[in-house]
Amino acid sequence: MTTLAIPPDVAFVVLTVVTITGAILALQAKELIYGAMSLALSFIGIAGFFALLDAPYLAMLQIAVYVGAVVVLILFTIMLVHREQTPEMDERTASPENSVGLWLAGLLALAVSGVVALAGTNLPTEAPSATLPISDLGPVLTLQYPIPLIILALLLSASLLGALVLAKVER
Amino acid sequence: MVVFPPTTPAELIALIIRILTSHTFVTIVIFPGFIHLTVVVIFLTWYERKLLARIQLRIGPLYAGGPGGLFQPLADGVKLIFKEVMVPYKASKPLFLGIPIMLVFLSALPFAVIPFGQHWVIANIDVGLVFIFAMTSLFPTMILLFAWASNSKYPFLGGLRSLFQQVAYEIPMWISTLSIVLLAGSLNLTDIVTAQQKMWFIVPAFLSFVVFFISIMAELERLPFDLPEAEPELVAGWYTEASGAIFMLIFMGLYMKLYLMSSLVTVLFLGGWWGPAIVPQPVWFILKTLIVATFIIIPRGVYPRIRVDMLIKIGWTRLLIIALANVFLTIILIDTGLLAAWGI
Repeated sequence: MTTLAIPPDVAFVVLTVVTITGAILALQAKELIYGAMSLALSFIGIAGFFALLDAPYLAMLQIAVYVGAVVVLILFTIMLVHREQTPEMDERTASPENSVGLWLAGLLALAVSGVVALAGTNLPTEAPSATLPISDLGPVLTLQYPIPLIILALLLSASLLGALVLAKVER
Repeated sequence: MVVFPPTTPAELIALIIRILTSHTFVTIVIFPGFIHLTVVVIFLTWYERKLLARIQLRIGPLYAGGPGGLFQPLADGVKLIFKEVMVPYKASKPLFLGIPIMLVFLSALPFAVIPFGQHWVIANIDVGLVFIFAMTSLFPTMILLFAWASNSKYPFLGGLRSLFQQVAYEIPMWISTLSIVLLAGSLNLTDIVTAQQKMWFIVPAFLSFVVFFISIMAELERLPFDLPEAEPELVAGWYTEASGAIFMLIFMGLYMKLYLMSSLVTVLFLGGWWGPAIVPQPVWFILKTLIVATFIIIPRGVYPRIRVDMLIKIGWTRLLIIALANVFLTIILIDTGLLAAWGI
């Protein structure tokens, strides 16, 4: 009985193509909305990488937080702020050398990922040796790595307070 | 005996029968999958119209065949499919035509992890609850993009309202499910239902049920939270410009999301498939889900719409606080062993 599963190398290359194409289109888009959507595509590709690396929880949170919240914030900002059409900006994004450079960089990244995928057995596409069940995530975070967790919490509270201060100064 | 690859016609037929009766095929295509979802969505549109009509002392659908005009949704569907799809002037055509399909896709996909019975689940994954929230958190993005793609002012205003409403109520919704995860000790929906064999979680986590129910009313843009489609102000909100098949797809997506959220309430609070074993588990599940859906629909015929500032105040200063307090209450309840009799 054979199971119908996609080999990890193929999935790795496909996800790389999706992520890099999304990132390049995000920079290239003339209309900012399409840029934000391409960014969402890139984030979904990264979520795919997490799923490939046996971290489904991280993959789901990547989709929920980045695609569901960060892209929404970007879209919200684009739509609320009155945007002036500056010809200078259009020129910069549309200039041929710029786009050629971007696509070349993307191709290079793709080539590197292809070489890595085809190279040997000890690849980053391999699942980690000891996969962690989701139920162990809490104990590991709080008991094994308490200091990084506290530092992250402090960082988040600091950014929250900073946002509050900034919003208040503007008013 | 099933042989692969088949060489004689008899073997081919045996193989086809084997595929058609396999658990994977049945779960994906027939029972918790496509056919069941389509039938339930068609039924829900009729059910909502009939129920609202009875609340308001009207008769509702009557003539289109079957008892009580049961085939009215099919007639509507045929009519909508044959209508012309009008794309507004200077609208973004790929987004305008693509987003409704994405809406149906995104509301159908989470059913892959909803357990309709002990063995009636398509994908029994460990992060089921997070998966559902990841998929539903993409709805505001899609709605905003559709509203923008319509290139019209009422859809755009409706889309902005929908966005801030759904993003604001997502947070209390997620936090209120945290106490359920604590009680069950798992994010796997099958495990959550199994943990409710002795007592439904609505009893130890009643506050969380209240918060979750109000939040899904806002997430589904149901009255009294239907500001994004407020008819007197915004024509029909973010889908004003939708017509024909596009309109049908959007409504399929919305009703599927209604069914999804109702079944999520059943899974998290009402004990999922548990019930007297006289009738099969999926029947109990669907029955409970339809009762929850009834309670979500009824306010539409009863209550007035609330104001925007009230909406924001309820979400951020009431529900969020109650949900957070409830998490601590649940921790205390579990730690003191008060719930030990229910196996928690």
